Formats: sequence, C-alpha cells, structure tokens
Amino acid sequence: MKISDCMKRNVVSIPATLTIAEAASIFVTRKVGLLPIVDEQDKPIGILSLRDLLELELPDFVSFIADVDFVHDFGAVETTRPTLKELAQPVTSIMQPITTIPEDCGLLRAYAMMLQHNLLDLPVVSKTGKLVGIASRVDIGTAILSYWKSVETKKK
Amino acid sequence: MILAAILTSLIFLASLWLIFSEKLNRTITAIAGAALIVSLGKLLGFYSESDALAAVDFNTLGLLLGMMILVALLEPTGFFQYLAVLAARASRGKPVRLLVLLGVVTTVLSMFLDNVTTVVLIAPVTILISEILGVNPTPFLVSEALLSNTGGVATLIGDPPNVLIASASGFSFNDFLTHSLPLVLVVWLVTLFLLRYLFRREMAVRPRNAKAVMKLNPAETLDDPKTARRVLIVLGGAILLFFLDHTLRISTSFVALGAAAVVLVWVRPDVKKILEHVEWSVLIFFAALFIMVGGLAAAGVLRAIVTVLEKAANIPPALFGVALIWVVAALSAVVDNVPITIALIPVIQGLGANGMDISPLWWALAFGAGFGGNGTIIGSTANIIVATLSEKTRTPITPKLWNKRGLPVMLVTCAVASILYAIAYPLF
Repeated sequence: MKISDCMKRNVVSIPATLTIAEAASIFVTRKVGLLPIVDEQDKPIGILSLRDLLELELPDFVSFIADVDFVHDFGAVETTRPTLKELAQPVTSIMQPITTIPEDCGLLRAYAMMLQHNLLDLPVVSKTGKLVGIASRVDIGTAILSYWKSVETKKK
Repeated sequence: MILAAILTSLIFLASLWLIFSEKLNRTITAIAGAALIVSLGKLLGFYSESDALAAVDFNTLGLLLGMMILVALLEPTGFFQYLAVLAARASRGKPVRLLVLLGVVTTVLSMFLDNVTTVVLIAPVTILISEILGVNPTPFLVSEALLSNTGGVATLIGDPPNVLIASASGFSFNDFLTHSLPLVLVVWLVTLFLLRYLFRREMAVRPRNAKAVMKLNPAETLDDPKTARRVLIVLGGAILLFFLDHTLRISTSFVALGAAAVVLVWVRPDVKKILEHVEWSVLIFFAALFIMVGGLAAAGVLRAIVTVLEKAANIPPALFGVALIWVVAALSAVVDNVPITIALIPVIQGLGANGMDISPLWWALAFGAGFGGNGTIIGSTANIIVATLSEKTRTPITPKLWNKRGLPVMLVTCAVASILYAIAYPLF
C-alpha cells in the first residue's frame, strides 16, 4: 500500500496572495487545521497551520514560562485580538516551510517523517511536484493497522 | 620592556574593543587574549605560565562557583516565581505598587544572588503578570534590571565587581554592609522615585483586568518546596557565615563552596544537570581576564599608569575619588564592568604601595562599576537579558528607549553617589 491509497484527494489549498484575515475565514468555513499555500502551477511553496494563526493571539508569557498551570485566569490576555494591521499581512509573512512526500511513498516512511517533523498532516505531491492530496496521522496510522488483521487471519 | 608594555596594552585594548563591539564572544576574546599575552610574555621573557596561574584570583572564582551551584539548585524549584506572584498579589494590580514590590523582590534577591539569575527568573513572571493585567511590561522589566544593578552594589556577594574588590582589598562582608549598604539605600530610593517619574505615563494607565492577578495562587508556583526549603536554609547559613568571615578567619569562597557541598549532599540532585547550569563561560572569562591583567602588570603597563595617576593625585583626595567613580561608570556603561574592575585593581594596589590611602578608592571603584552599568542597554548583563527577552514579545525594549530611561538613572545615581561619597569621605 502506498500513501496515494490512503490520502484525501480533495485538498483545500490557498494562493500566496491571500491575507491572514482571508486565510482565517477559510479555516473557519472549511473546518481544516492546515492550509498548503501553492503557486500558479499548483506547486506547494509553504504551509499555514491553525497554530500559526493562533500564535498571533497567544500571550508572550506562554513561551517563557514552562508550566502555566498556576495561571487560572488569563485576565486581560483573554480579550486580546490581533490588530487590523496584523490581519492585513499576506499569509506568506507567517507561513512555514512545507514538508511533502511523493505519492508513491511507503506508509511506514510517511509515518516516520510525520513523527520526526512533528506533523499531524502530510501533503502529498505528484512526480511533477503538484499538490495532489493530503494524509493525516489517522489516515496513515489506520492504513498501517489494517494490515494487522491479515496477519491474524493467516495465523488461524 | 617598552615593547612588551606596548604590545600587551594593544592586545588588551583590542580585546576590550572586541567585547564592546560584540564582534567576538567575550569569553572567546578573553581566552584568545590571555593565550596571546602569555605567548608574548614567554617570547620576551616577562611573563610565564606559573606567573599567569598565580595571577588568577581563585577566591573570586570559588565564591562565584559556590553561589552558582546554590542558585542552580534553587532555580528549578519555582521559588523565584513564588516571590514574584506574592508581589503581584500584594500589589492588587496597581501599577505603581507592582513596580515597587517587584523592584524590592529583585533588589533583595540580587543583593544575595547574582543579578543575572535574578533577572532571568523574575523577568518571565513579570511579563506574565503584565499581560494578564493588560499593561505594558517594559517599565517593570527596565526597572528590575536597573534596581538589581543598583541593589547588587550593597553587598560583597551582590555583584561580581564587589567580589573582586573584596578579594583584592581584604574588605569583609560587614565592611560592605557598613560602607556600601547605607549609600546604596539612598541611591536605590532615588532610583525608584526617578523610575516612577520616567515611567509616569505608563504608570497612569489603569490595568484592564486587575482581578486576574488575585487569582494567581503562589503555592502552586512552587514546583519543589522541599528542595527550595533546603537550599534556602543552607543559603541562610552561608550568609550568616559571611557576616563572620573576618572574625572566624574564613574566606568567602570557602563559605560558598562549603555551602554548595552541604546542599549537594542534602538534596543529592542529578549533579550533571546542576553543573550544566553553572555558568562556566563566566568563570573562564574571569580566569582569562586575570591572566591578561597579570600580563599587563608584568609588562610594566600598570606601573606606568600608577605613575601618571600619582601626578594627577595632587588634587584633593575626595575629588580624586569622585573622578574615579565617573571614569569607571563611563567605562562600565560601554564595556563589561568586570574587565574594567580587574584591570583597575592592580592600579589601585600600586597607588597603595606608594603610600596613598586607597581604602576610599576601592569604594569609588565599586560605586562606579555598579551604577555605571545602568547607562546603556549593554552596560550590564541584567540589561542585556531583559532586552533580549523583550525582543521576543510584542513590546521590545530598544537601545533608544534605554537611553531615555536608563541613562538618566545612571547619571542621577552617579551624581547622588558622588555627593554622598564626598560628604562622607572621611568615613570611607
């Protein structure tokens, strides 16, 4: 089984010309956690995750204090919103480098890549470099586990 | 001999310039400079390996190492967070009160522990408190750095220059409490009022959510109360012994290293992890500087400076002391105050050997080195730390901002210190 057998083929991707505010509304309407950013040829150039957007609202202290459990009320931070200026920035200003795998990649390699790069979804590209699908950790994990069934039946 | 003096001076000045311009890490600069001076000394026959080793003040290094081990053990217990949260609750979210209370906590801690650790541990909690209150953290961060620089001058163990001066002059822990502490108390209060004035606009802002601070529970911030208690007991014992250092004829480095030994046996931590928290680069920086300055002395550079200074010393001695405060302060504002102090110690000793009353000069050196660090964003390590930390926040502290807030503090503190010093000159 290859990654192309378990991936989702209808990927929601966005062009690099969008603003952060526009990307945010796509996250909300399409209920996705990840948006690959593609050029005119549909080739991925970067990735935007829900986390990158939420970073704009997260208070600064979270990155300095190892254990924030004792802070029971985030107080003024709870009502902090990104500024209009921040929201008008292009998505390219906060996008992250993208890790992709070819569509003929094996499942275990795909899973190992995910673990090592600490990813929850893995965008898949064709031989020509075009974005053709996306596989989540659940997609890949359950595809691997489905083999175990055949092992058990053989034993019997 | 003239050649040796010129070349060693050039190496030393080039090293200071590298440290000042941040072109090369200060520890690497010092190691390279020390190696160059020893090579030169061997080549021209004025400085040997054993001379270099003898130039290192192991009392200073031992005291710093001992205190660093104690702090490394105290750091992960959450004790610093605990104190900051207590201060925040006691302030009830009122900015001016918060500034004073966080300032007091930072100052008291930096009188007994090193400023850098204090600021490193208090600054993140300060950012937390400011954010949940909905106020700008900058006034609090800048004040903490400035007040810890100022407070550190009060005690023998508060600041590295003081450790160096005590080791060279033979001043006891109590000498600092009777000579430095009273002056620092006045200067500290002046600093606080000045900060209140400089940040009057920020202090007038009403926090958006003062109640959230009251929901912080100090008890929950202590991750390891057992270890915290043990380290604090031993630290208290060490401070008690510091008071008696001259009566019992024990060196401060022995007290600090002994305390480190006691607490290591009592807590039995993962020693590898604890030693990783010791700032070896600082200790090596000190050792290398001692070797460099030893070379300067051996090459006759320091003797030449002493001769020049003696001619200048025809002015009234109190004026000479005040001038020393300002020269050292100006130098400490632009370069690290440690190399300045290490270089000036043998000069002052030289003046003493020629019959001058140098006891007031030691205090002038301590005041200049301590208060001078407030002047610029790179003046002290505490300043650099709050600035670097703030760069990762939405409200970064810029060199320009420091010039507007820190420089006035340096000028006023040095002026107040000079006046008090001149008035009380016979007592120093």
